[in-house]
Amino acid sequence: MNINTVSIFLQTIVGGIGIGSLYALVALGYSMQYRSMGLVNFAQGSIYMIGTYFGIIWYQGMVMGLQVPYPIAFLIGIVLNMGLGLILERIFRPLANLDLMLMLLGTIGLGYVLDNMAIITWGAEGFAVKSPLPNTPIIIGGVALLPQMLLLIGVSAILMVGLTVFLSKAKIGKAMRAAASDRETASAMGIPVNTTNAVSFAIGCGLAAAAGILAAPIVYVNPAMGGPVGLKGFAAFILGGAGSIPGAIVGGLVFGVLEAVSAGFVSSAYTKGIAFVVMVVVLMFRPGGIVGEVTVDKV
Amino acid sequence: MISVNNIHTYYGHIHAVKGISFEVRQGEITALIGANGAGKSTTIKTICGLLHPREGSILLDGAPIHKLSADKVVRLGVGLVPEGRRVFPVLTVDENLDMGAYHRSDQAEIAKDKAQMYETFPALKGREKQLAGSLSGGEQQMLAIARALMSKPKLLAMDEPSLGLAPLLVKRVFEIIADLNQQGMTILLSEQNARGALKIAHQGIVLETGLVRFADDAASLRSNAVIQRAYLGAG
Repeated sequence: MNINTVSIFLQTIVGGIGIGSLYALVALGYSMQYRSMGLVNFAQGSIYMIGTYFGIIWYQGMVMGLQVPYPIAFLIGIVLNMGLGLILERIFRPLANLDLMLMLLGTIGLGYVLDNMAIITWGAEGFAVKSPLPNTPIIIGGVALLPQMLLLIGVSAILMVGLTVFLSKAKIGKAMRAAASDRETASAMGIPVNTTNAVSFAIGCGLAAAAGILAAPIVYVNPAMGGPVGLKGFAAFILGGAGSIPGAIVGGLVFGVLEAVSAGFVSSAYTKGIAFVVMVVVLMFRPGGIVGEVTVDKV
Repeated sequence: MISVNNIHTYYGHIHAVKGISFEVRQGEITALIGANGAGKSTTIKTICGLLHPREGSILLDGAPIHKLSADKVVRLGVGLVPEGRRVFPVLTVDENLDMGAYHRSDQAEIAKDKAQMYETFPALKGREKQLAGSLSGGEQQMLAIARALMSKPKLLAMDEPSLGLAPLLVKRVFEIIADLNQQGMTILLSEQNARGALKIAHQGIVLETGLVRFADDAASLRSNAVIQRAYLGAG
């Protein structure tokens, strides 16, 4: 292997980690919601799309012509999407006690509602977003990296570490873990499970918004952008181990790298196929996923 | 302290508790005795707010609590040791105790109470950072009791604390319950082990298929011929 092949390989891996970070954040959203409500939220892709708009519209000057700096727009997007999450959780809560199938159908239906609301509000056509960082690649050890890609990887890593610390150290974070493992006992210990569920749901939505706003300058922002990311985030969530926090991170990164490697070294036409085939094969041998902890109380 | 008045509770579609009334008196151990399916667990869960009665009322020191959710009932002073221990397996021993004290905010007192728990339950000492799921059954039972005590309850509701434990540990658990009571804790104890429970209890309530069959002081129940035959295994 000569130097050139090595650097192309590294380049591919880093690209995979970048896109994998995006999948990991979305997968963490699935995980947080699944842990708390036992719900696979198939609207997650649409929530990711709405979150992207919630931040990017400020950055693009689409709100009363205000030109908001990227970091502030990023925070506004996250906060607004968490607010949306609180509302959505309230809608799903009564369904949660009725029937799981109703809830699944409910999330799919809700996804369509969100997609169409985005079309009505912001138009069916999308737009490109200019990165707040320079577009000239930084070259490290023969690997050319887009600054926005580095930002995506860096901020995602911070968010993942932050979430892990929050769940292990904060009082409400511990309560969320307790409620995820046994909601009945958690409530008998005085933990307000409805509140911790709402917070989990909102965090899932906040992470999706963060992912979308970070990725916006790399991808094309439009109301249909949520579909493929929602699907791959779901695959990452399953691949890592449904409901596991480290699993969602590992699953997202593995899925991103697989996709990049198969596109770079096999054929870009088969990218999605290859990644999903690997997912199926992994699940045949490890049905619980790569990390697969048996710690989640499935309703 | 607690008065249960003619409660009817459904467990799913099953009419598990069909009009039960009894009193738990301050400073006493009240034993709920009965076979599997007699309604003991349903009664305990109803008192703790995990289930809600369709009819009847539950008063804690005169105030109705039967419509409150479980997390509010804890705040009012009912601590639960759930059936099957139900410690949080993915949390450490120390974090489990923190969860017991979830509604409290007096950090200094919580730390003091935790230290006290490690004294009272030496099995837990030195295992603060260990995951609760890795403890033995007996140790998990100690943790479940300690966790409930961390909420500073007025009433400790214990659902089958001896279930699934080795005979020596069963004896130990009953000793602990008697000790807690000696220190002033009011206890509602649901038990299949009628012999062990009636030995330490002041009052016994015998449930059969969701109804109260006998209710009397523990000594009278122990000498009752029907109880002896059906529950205490005497000829």
